[in-house]
Amino acid sequence: MATSPRGLVAVPQRIQARLTRIGVYVTAVVVAVFVTVPVYLMLTLAFQAPADAFAGGRVNLIPTNPTLRNFRVLFETTATSTYFRNSLVVTASTTLLSTAIAVSAGYGLTRFEFRGKSYAARAILFSYMFSPIVLAIPLYVVFFALGLLNSYFGLTLALTAISTPFTIWLMWQYFQTVPIALEESAWVRGASRWRTLWDVVLPVARPGYVSAAIFAFSVAWNDFTMARVIMSDENLYPITVGASLFLDRPTIGWGETMAVSVLICIPPFLIALFLQQYLLQGFNVGGLE
Amino acid sequence: MATIHLEELRKVFGVGGTDHVAVDGISLEIPDGSFTTIVGPSGCGKTTTLRMLAGLETPTGGRIRFDDRDVTDLRPQERNVAMVFQSIALYPHMTVRENIGYALKIDGVPKADRDEKIEEAAETLQITDQLEKMPSELSGGQQQRVALGSAFVQDPDALLLDEPMSDLDAKLKAELRVEVQRLHKELDTTVVYVTHDQTEAMTMSDHVVLLNEGRLEQFAPPTELFDRPTSAYAARFIGTPSTNVFEGTVERGDRGPVVAGQGATIRLPTGALADRVGETVSLGVRPQYVTLDGGDHGLDVTVEVVEPLGTESVVHCRTADGTPFDVVTSDLAGVDPGGTVRAGFDTEHVYLFDAGGETVAFGTDLREPEESP
Repeated sequence: MATSPRGLVAVPQRIQARLTRIGVYVTAVVVAVFVTVPVYLMLTLAFQAPADAFAGGRVNLIPTNPTLRNFRVLFETTATSTYFRNSLVVTASTTLLSTAIAVSAGYGLTRFEFRGKSYAARAILFSYMFSPIVLAIPLYVVFFALGLLNSYFGLTLALTAISTPFTIWLMWQYFQTVPIALEESAWVRGASRWRTLWDVVLPVARPGYVSAAIFAFSVAWNDFTMARVIMSDENLYPITVGASLFLDRPTIGWGETMAVSVLICIPPFLIALFLQQYLLQGFNVGGLE
Repeated sequence: MATIHLEELRKVFGVGGTDHVAVDGISLEIPDGSFTTIVGPSGCGKTTTLRMLAGLETPTGGRIRFDDRDVTDLRPQERNVAMVFQSIALYPHMTVRENIGYALKIDGVPKADRDEKIEEAAETLQITDQLEKMPSELSGGQQQRVALGSAFVQDPDALLLDEPMSDLDAKLKAELRVEVQRLHKELDTTVVYVTHDQTEAMTMSDHVVLLNEGRLEQFAPPTELFDRPTSAYAARFIGTPSTNVFEGTVERGDRGPVVAGQGATIRLPTGALADRVGETVSLGVRPQYVTLDGGDHGLDVTVEVVEPLGTESVVHCRTADGTPFDVVTSDLAGVDPGGTVRAGFDTEHVYLFDAGGETVAFGTDLREPEESP
């Protein structure tokens, strides 16, 4: 084998490339196993009756008798449908509100000069560092004083507060990639600032605000902390909090718990499926040509 | 159509606490329907001036009028101008048709009328086949045509173009130069064209505005700018290669005043420059007017580089004291790098500049009385 001047064994480039490729595959397989196994367990338990799943004292990993029985039990004996609806309402309003704020604030930060702009920008990033639980207690006090506890609106505000720092930052970065000449050319042609925003800026910035919306969606949909603090009326629980209660109930077993987990996974899965191209574009700001 | 009046126009940018004067008191009148080019090196304020015409920058001082209408404080939406940007600025999410028709859509023109105008513009610019495509599918030249088309349908008081060809290759530039001029004729509107390329300025315009660090250096038709530059700056900026400028002194000779420099002595008419005797002046001669044999005057220069351009060549030389001196000639006999040649020129092609660079005399005015017919 050839040796380099320093006496080290030189690895031919072809072998190096092959090793790199093998390394990438191995890593990918390990990651995939870690991600897939729990998801598979969830699915397999959700679609088997408990008696089949745990027959013989072992977990039956290959469903022989798939059934929707667990889902039926969920909807017949628990308030799952209410929880699910609560989650949808709060998530939708949070997504809308957070994206709207992000678009306006991001545009303002990009296109207007004002006193204290750099402080405002830093404050936005700084506020993103807080974990939700740090905000939860003060927000509880504020909402208590304002009478916003136990309301969709209150929870929407709280979740918007958590997601907005990041979405504003994202939109701010994204708007910087939209050339000002596009706007100027619209102004010269007679379009007002609002019209320009609507006709030119927003269509061009679509990957940006879709990403912001997806982020706000995932914050709101997956939220547990804020809902636990702000909602004390069981009829207003989102599905995350509702599902956690099942663990304490003797009538609800693993099958039903896994079934509710499947339900929780469906909306994010659909979003990822249909909007992933925007997500990649939006988070790749700067990598765009 | 409008005559554009600029009165003491000024623009100061505050950059990091210090003021940067971009445009410094420009006054001029761009005639109605003319093709006027604003030219100058980077940072001379030409784009800022154009953006003030469009309303995209607010002047720090002075007024802008379109005919009798004061537009100084009007927003871009309120002025009837069309602008083509250096970056072309087509909307990436609209088809070519929508791009061209956007101004009409804002004005609320019905779709049928809009389409008619768009198609007319597309035909003029030969982009009819491209109408349903997206801008990203077009070549650079086609995109530029679309940008021109958008301006075309607007029927503006003034069409403003901000270095629209700086990103195109030479062949396309030549093609679009013709296109822009044709558009000017068809539109019959006042065109203000910004460029740093003096060739574009010379070939396309009725009038040229030459700027120097925010100040108006000269405002004249191209031929006048070439033949009668008012300063050494104007003489050097317009024309390629650049005008040769070398130093000389005004002296009192035996038979009247002379300018002497680099071994050449130019006799002046009796009485000319009498008050400048003893002063240092600069002499300017365009390389095109320099010959390697003959001429009323001559100086010995050392050849450095020969650049063949096809029918003629540019010979880059230096005078005895190192001043660059270029000669354009088609006869390269006896010209060798390192060798010495005699660069000759006639009095009538000489410009005389004072120490501050202002033109004090043109060669045509310096012919001695007895020499004139």
